[in-house]
Amino acid sequence: MTTRWIATGLCHDLPNGVVMAGRWHDTELAVWRSASGKLAAWKDRCPHRGMRLSHGFVRGETLSCIYHGWVYGTDGGCKHIPAHPSLVPPKAIRAEAFSCVALDGVLWLAPADVSEAPPRLGGLRPVRSLSLTCGLAALMAAESALAGKDILRGSVTFGGHAVEICLLVQPKPDGITLHALCGASADLVAVSRWLEALRFKAEEKVAE
Amino acid sequence: MIAPEVLNEWYPVAMASQIRAGQRRQTQLLGQPITVVLTDGAIAVQGPTGSFPVIERFGHVWTCPGTPAHDLFTVPEVDQPGRRLVDVGVVRVKCSPLRAVENFLDIAHFPFVHTDILGAEPHTEVNRYEVQIREDTDEVWATKVTFYQPQAAKSAEVGIVTEYMYRVPAPTVSVLYKTCPVVPGEWDVIGIFVQPLTEELCDVWPYMALFDDVTPMAELIAFQQMIFLQDRSILENQIPRLLPLDPGMEIPTQADLTSIAYRRWLKKRGLTYGAQMVAA
Amino acid sequence: MIRLYDYVLSASCYKVRLMASLVGLKLEHEAVDFHPGLEHKSAAFRQMNPAGTLPVLMDGDLILTESTAMLVYLARMSGPEWLGPDTPQALAQVQQWLAFSGRLAASLGRARLHDMLLYPGDIDALRRDGHDALRELEAALTERRFAGRDWLVGDAPSIADIACFPNVALSQDGGVVLDDYPAIRLWSLSIRSLDRFVEMPGIHRLHELRPAPVEV
Repeated sequence: MTTRWIATGLCHDLPNGVVMAGRWHDTELAVWRSASGKLAAWKDRCPHRGMRLSHGFVRGETLSCIYHGWVYGTDGGCKHIPAHPSLVPPKAIRAEAFSCVALDGVLWLAPADVSEAPPRLGGLRPVRSLSLTCGLAALMAAESALAGKDILRGSVTFGGHAVEICLLVQPKPDGITLHALCGASADLVAVSRWLEALRFKAEEKVAE
Repeated sequence: MIAPEVLNEWYPVAMASQIRAGQRRQTQLLGQPITVVLTDGAIAVQGPTGSFPVIERFGHVWTCPGTPAHDLFTVPEVDQPGRRLVDVGVVRVKCSPLRAVENFLDIAHFPFVHTDILGAEPHTEVNRYEVQIREDTDEVWATKVTFYQPQAAKSAEVGIVTEYMYRVPAPTVSVLYKTCPVVPGEWDVIGIFVQPLTEELCDVWPYMALFDDVTPMAELIAFQQMIFLQDRSILENQIPRLLPLDPGMEIPTQADLTSIAYRRWLKKRGLTYGAQMVAA
Repeated sequence: MIRLYDYVLSASCYKVRLMASLVGLKLEHEAVDFHPGLEHKSAAFRQMNPAGTLPVLMDGDLILTESTAMLVYLARMSGPEWLGPDTPQALAQVQQWLAFSGRLAASLGRARLHDMLLYPGDIDALRRDGHDALRELEAALTERRFAGRDWLVGDAPSIADIACFPNVALSQDGGVVLDDYPAIRLWSLSIRSLDRFVEMPGIHRLHELRPAPVEV
């Protein structure tokens, strides 16, 4: 069964009060957390002049566009236009929202009308995200212990230990991004270095 | 096919002093390769099928890839004695040439993009100003534009309410007149000359004609480059890269009256190179 | 007073301005017309710095022409804690990052000059080398975070961070975006949040550090 949810990052990479760029297939998004930890994901353009909202700034429970400082609440509605401080912005001015959920240490994105919940990855520990300039096929060719399509899982042996690995695949125009999790007792540094080596092998497969 | 309305306009393509010093500039104009070169003491612009007309004005080389519909605009203030004329140099920006001009016409971004220089919170309000399309010259003008500025110019010591006039005399050019901090009653003149390489790539030549006998030239140049480079990271991150001319794609407010007039003026005159006509 | 021959758009000059501000040292700035005037290539300038590069730092008889050396000088003068911990390992690691910052300048820095000021260069190769350097930095910062550390060396920011920061933070000017480097993004935010941090064009103010002037 396939899911419409796509992982766009790991929770520890998006602290409260921070905005980052996310992606759901070809849709670029601004993903942000308010001061109190509320998550939101919107199309990455301010309705005013098209500026990327992922370049903006979070104050309290609002995200502001860096260009003209237009202020948006977590519901996507424009709350304040600094050029016209006494104006109540019309309701029609709003950012286009996606669904965004933080679950098991992973940030998941899906279109707003998604009905199912994101996949569960209980018992695993988030490691890091890293991008590859190759596609999924080259990655699979580089590591035979991994199986799956959007979510790759397997038991990988390095340093004399078998480590449970889970890679969430996020497609990009020029490759893929992997959001990696591992078994709860694994050594994070060792897994991170294994991921670097895996990337090296996978990208080399393409070069061959 | 590029519309004749677009081809018959004047565009900046080089700094005259650099060409006069013997540099040869191979560049693009509206997607065509061109060369700006000094031949027998005169500046020439060679296009793919022959040479284009040339005007040397405001320290820059201007050319027209079609049949010029009119003379290149003038700025009489530039010839006033005592002004320092500053060629700021070229900066390349990955954006529509029209977006580069529109940003230059905008004051509401000052507190957020040129923080503590051209604007600062909480002084964010844009007061009502006047906008018109002057029928005699067919130019967009905005007047009585005022804004609080912490450091309006290199020569400014304290914050002042600056008054501006904005002018669009050619599709990829804007000239502004702003309160001169040094000589009361005079305007400082700052221009932005945009060379459209393609619809989504431009070379921008800021230019200044100021009353300021004190500030070293290198500092005047650095100040204006600082301001423009603060804009560049905005311009390269607007989506879409083309300027939308159809209403509905972007939502303006009263502070954007100049930009609204500029977009209408472009559309009415068929100057759509670098514009997006249908909402994507 | 210490004098800095300076250019507003230079990442290397910014490195020195930033360091001076962080340690609370006021410099005398001499603007050099790097672009379009190429003043740094003039005979007069080359008498001071034969390499014809910016920045140049002058303090009495001392003339420095390498920005990483300037960081050492300013830190040792006014903020020795910025030199990093005084252990053999830490001293060597700081040197490692100072040298690494040269690779950032040679890749991301050159890509930026190419895209912004029309300098010649093989842009694809420059960006690829830039990404290679960013991958190294990302891996190192990731491991630092596993150990509960926010900075490249030791428990506090040091000249190692300041040496690497400018060309990384300005990488988008050269067409290299940092979206794929979460550890670098958070490290960059930490640097930009430092007390007495100063920005330069291309690195905008963190408006979130100040409360909203109007309650929304």
